Amino acid sequence: MYRYDEFDEALVRERAAQFRGQVARRLSGALKEDAFKPLRLMNGVYLQLHAYMLRVAIPYGQLDPAKLRQLAMIADRYDKGYGHFTTRQNIQYNWIRLADMPDVLDALADVEMHAIQTSGNCIRNVTSDHLAGAAADEIEDPRPWCEIIRQWSTLHPEFSFLPRKFKIAVTAAETDRAAVRVHDIGLHIRRNGDGEIGFEVIVGGGQGRTPHVGVTIRDWIAKAELLSYLEAIMRVYNRFGRRDNKYKARIKILVNELGPEAFAEAVDTEYAAQGVHEAVLLPQGEIDRITEYFASPDLPERPARSVTFEAARAADPALDRWARVNLRRHRTPGYTSAYISLKSQGEAPGDMTGDQMRVAADIAEQFGFGDIRVAHEQDLVLPHLAIDDLPEVHRRLRDAGLAASNAGLASDLIACPGLDYCNLSNARSISVGNAIQAVFEDPEFEERVGPLHINISGCINACGHHHVGHIGVLGVDKKGEEYYQITFGGRADEKAAIGDIIGPALKGDDVAPALRRVIAAYLDLRKGPGEKFIDAYTRLGPAPFKEALYAVD
Amino acid sequence: MSSARPRLAPETPKMVTAWDTATGRTVYMTPSREWSVNIADGAVLVGAAADDALAFAASDEGRATDPYVMQVSPLGEIDGREIIRETIRAVGPTNHPMFGKQAGNP
Ligand code: SF4
Repeated sequence: MYRYDEFDEALVRERAAQFRGQVARRLSGALKEDAFKPLRLMNGVYLQLHAYMLRVAIPYGQLDPAKLRQLAMIADRYDKGYGHFTTRQNIQYNWIRLADMPDVLDALADVEMHAIQTSGNCIRNVTSDHLAGAAADEIEDPRPWCEIIRQWSTLHPEFSFLPRKFKIAVTAAETDRAAVRVHDIGLHIRRNGDGEIGFEVIVGGGQGRTPHVGVTIRDWIAKAELLSYLEAIMRVYNRFGRRDNKYKARIKILVNELGPEAFAEAVDTEYAAQGVHEAVLLPQGEIDRITEYFASPDLPERPARSVTFEAARAADPALDRWARVNLRRHRTPGYTSAYISLKSQGEAPGDMTGDQMRVAADIAEQFGFGDIRVAHEQDLVLPHLAIDDLPEVHRRLRDAGLAASNAGLASDLIACPGLDYCNLSNARSISVGNAIQAVFEDPEFEERVGPLHINISGCINACGHHHVGHIGVLGVDKKGEEYYQITFGGRADEKAAIGDIIGPALKGDDVAPALRRVIAAYLDLRKGPGEKFIDAYTRLGPAPFKEALYAVD
Repeated sequence: MSSARPRLAPETPKMVTAWDTATGRTVYMTPSREWSVNIADGAVLVGAAADDALAFAASDEGRATDPYVMQVSPLGEIDGREIIRETIRAVGPTNHPMFGKQAGNP
C-alpha cells in the first residue's frame, strides 16, 4: 500500500493547520459563511440537514487496520458511533461539530489520511476495482495508476477551479467492477494488438441530471503517455466546459455538444501541441517505484481446497450460504476475497459502527494481510483470505453483525443518505431501501432471484447511482410528498447502460410491494435460474415489467 | 446567504431557522432573537416582522449560519410542503430515532 513521503506528510499537516486557523476565524465571527464555505468545502466539510458532515478521502478505497481503527475512533469520539461508506469509496461522518473539525483532520493526518478534494470543482477521489490485486480476471493491478493520477491531480494548480467536479475511475479487469463508463474519465487497462499494456480512454460518462454512458476517445494509449493525455483532456474541458450553467458544466455535456469525434480531435490537438517542457513525464523508474508499494502480499503456498473449511461449511448452513454468496475467486489457489456486507436488513446501507470497524480491522490484521477495501457498492472487502481461515473469519463477522450473506444480491442495495441527512434531498432513501430489503428477507428467495442491483438516490444528483441500477429508484418531491420514480435496465459494468424510466412515480409505501410484483413477474418469465434479471429485461423489454410494476395487488 | 427554499406569502405564518455555527445543529429564532434547538421556543412571525427577523438572522453570522424562513401553523407546528424535511430537521433522522432531539439530544 502507498506510504506517504515527506511531501505528502507536510502537505496534509500544513493543510490541517491552515484549516484550524480558518475554523477559528469562522467561530470568532471574523470570517463570514460566504467566505468560509469554499474553504470548508475544499476540506470536505459540508453543512447538511442536522450538522456539519465531513467527507474523508479513501484513495481508491484502500484501507489498512490502522486507518480503519482511526476511522472508528473518530466515529466514537466525534460522531455518534457511526461512519457512512459512500459510492466514491469514501467515508462520511454526519455529526461532527465545526469546532472539532481541526482535531479530526489532525487525527486523520496521523494515519496518512485527509479530506482534501472530496468536494468542490476539482478532480475527486480516484476510484477503482475493490478486488484489485486479488482478482483472477485482471491484467495488472490498477491501484498504482490510481495513485499516480492522485499524485498528479492533488492540488494541481491548473485544475483546482474546473467548471464542475471531476471523477476518474480505473479498472484492469474484463468485468468492470469500477463503473468506469459512467465517470468523467474512465480508464480501462488493456493490451494492444502487440500485447503491450496500456489504457482505453473513455470520456463523458456520468450520472446526475443528464446521465450519459462515456465514449471511447482512444482505444489504447501507452502508459508513459497517460498523464500527458489526461492533461490534454483536462485542458480542453477547462477551456471549453460551460461555466454559465452548473447543470451543463460537466464534461459529459461538452462531449455531447461537440460530438465525441470533435472532442477527441480537440484533445489530440492539445496533446500534440504540448511542448517538451509541458509534457508530464512518467519515467519507467517512477512507475516502478509506485508499483512496488502495491506488491501482492507474500501469500504462503496452500492447497487449492481446504478440508477444514469444507467440513465447517457442511456443518454450518449459515457459513455455507455466506461462502456461496460473499466470496470471490482469488488469483492464488487456497485464497479468496470476501465481502463484508454493510447491508443488513433494516440498517442504513453503507453505515458501520466504530465497534464493527475495529472488528474488521482485527480480522484484516490477523487473517487478511492487513488489506481492506471499500467497494463502491458501500461494502467492505477483505481481498486476501486463506480459505482455511474462513470459518473463524465468518464467526467473528457474525458476532459483530457483519455476516449478511447478500453480496451482489437484491438486499445489497446502494442507497445515498437521502432526506434523513442530506440538505439537497427530495425524499428519503434509507427507509425505502429498508422496505425493499424486507421483500428479500428470506435468504433462499433472495438467492433464487439471483444477482440484482437496486440503486436508490434521494434526488437527481444520483449519489446512489440509480441510473445504473438494474432497478433504479429516484426520490422526487410531489407537493411535499415523497414519491419514487422507477427505472429498469441500467447497469454499471462493461455493458454500461442508463435505465429506462418506466412510468409515473410511485408513493413511498407503494415501492416495495410494486417491486415484489416485478420480481414475481421476472421469476415467471425468465428462461431459467441462469438468466439474470438484467438479461431477462434486455431480452423482453419493459412491457411485462411495467405491467407488473403498476398492477393492483 | 439563505438556502433556496419555497417562497412563502407575507401572510403565511413562519419561523426563522438556521444552523448553529459551532455545532451545525438545527436552531430556531426565539421571540427575543436568541437561538434555540427546540422548535417549541421559536417565534411565529408574519409579514414585515418575519422579514426583519430574517434580516437580523442574516447579520448574526457568528451564531447562526444560512438562515431561512420555514412555514409553520399559527401555533408554531411545522406546516406546508416541506413538512417532511422540516420534521426531520427538527427531530432527527428517521432511521436513527435515538440520534434525534426527541431522544433528548441537543
Ligand atoms: S443523491 Fe441527492 S439526496 Fe442523495 S446524497 Fe446525493 S445530493 Fe443528497
